[in-house]
Amino acid sequence: MFLINCPYCGERDQSEFSAGGEAHILRPKQPTELSDDQWAEYLFMRKNIKGVQFERWNHAHGCRKWFNMIRDTSNDKIHAVYKMGEKPPLK
Amino acid sequence: MLNFNTPIIDTKEYSEIKISEIEPILKINLRGKSRDFVTKIGKELSIITPVDPNTSSSNEKFNLLWLSPDEWFLYSNDKIDIKDANVLENKLFNEISKVKLGSVTNVSDHWIMINLKGIKIFELLSAGCPFNFNNFKKSKGAVTQTLINHIDVIIHNKNVNDLNLFVRRSFSAHLWSWMNDSARFI
Repeated sequence: MFLINCPYCGERDQSEFSAGGEAHILRPKQPTELSDDQWAEYLFMRKNIKGVQFERWNHAHGCRKWFNMIRDTSNDKIHAVYKMGEKPPLK
Repeated sequence: MLNFNTPIIDTKEYSEIKISEIEPILKINLRGKSRDFVTKIGKELSIITPVDPNTSSSNEKFNLLWLSPDEWFLYSNDKIDIKDANVLENKLFNEISKVKLGSVTNVSDHWIMINLKGIKIFELLSAGCPFNFNNFKKSKGAVTQTLINHIDVIIHNKNVNDLNLFVRRSFSAHLWSWMNDSARFI
């Protein structure tokens, strides 16, 4: 269990949030021109690294807004939280 | 069209805690993003639209709660007649929804309002809630959306040791049972 600082509501318990998977995945500009493998790569393949990862989260039991988070998956340390559309503060 | 149904219709008193369902109360969900929308709500209801997170504003008739950057929850201070509720709903609908400034949804029958009074109400809520009430209980008018016993709720700190709690109708009986059960041990 850990605390997440929602960019809209402030610090809340993790149980109020739901994880939405890897962040910053761009939809291909011409999906019809992709092969099945390329489409599957975009649609299904996600990183699941041990370490710092860029993720999408939703404050499901609060303001219901989506936002991005940079989290170390090995120790749940949150490096940054930022709104959708904003550039990540870390690279 | 409004159709008020009260699932609980009860009041319970324990040591330093009083829990009662207050119905019928007018409740309207307002959604919109533009500055015109925010101004319009304020003008129509004679109330300042709260734009700061977790805050609310009130006048003698209504309370307007901040739910998210583009969502607000309006509820009446007192029990309301169905005819009056329909008049206000239609007025807001015509001024906001029809002109595509935002959306107006009557949720009077969707949410149930439970009033909690007494010096131990925060102890009761903390028994099943991950939210930290330390700052919340000191700030009159504070609003939070959180979980109590895994049930989504909206809590409005109306006054000192006086809360209004909103819960979805389908969960209300369960939350009511849980609160009464927990209150016995506080």
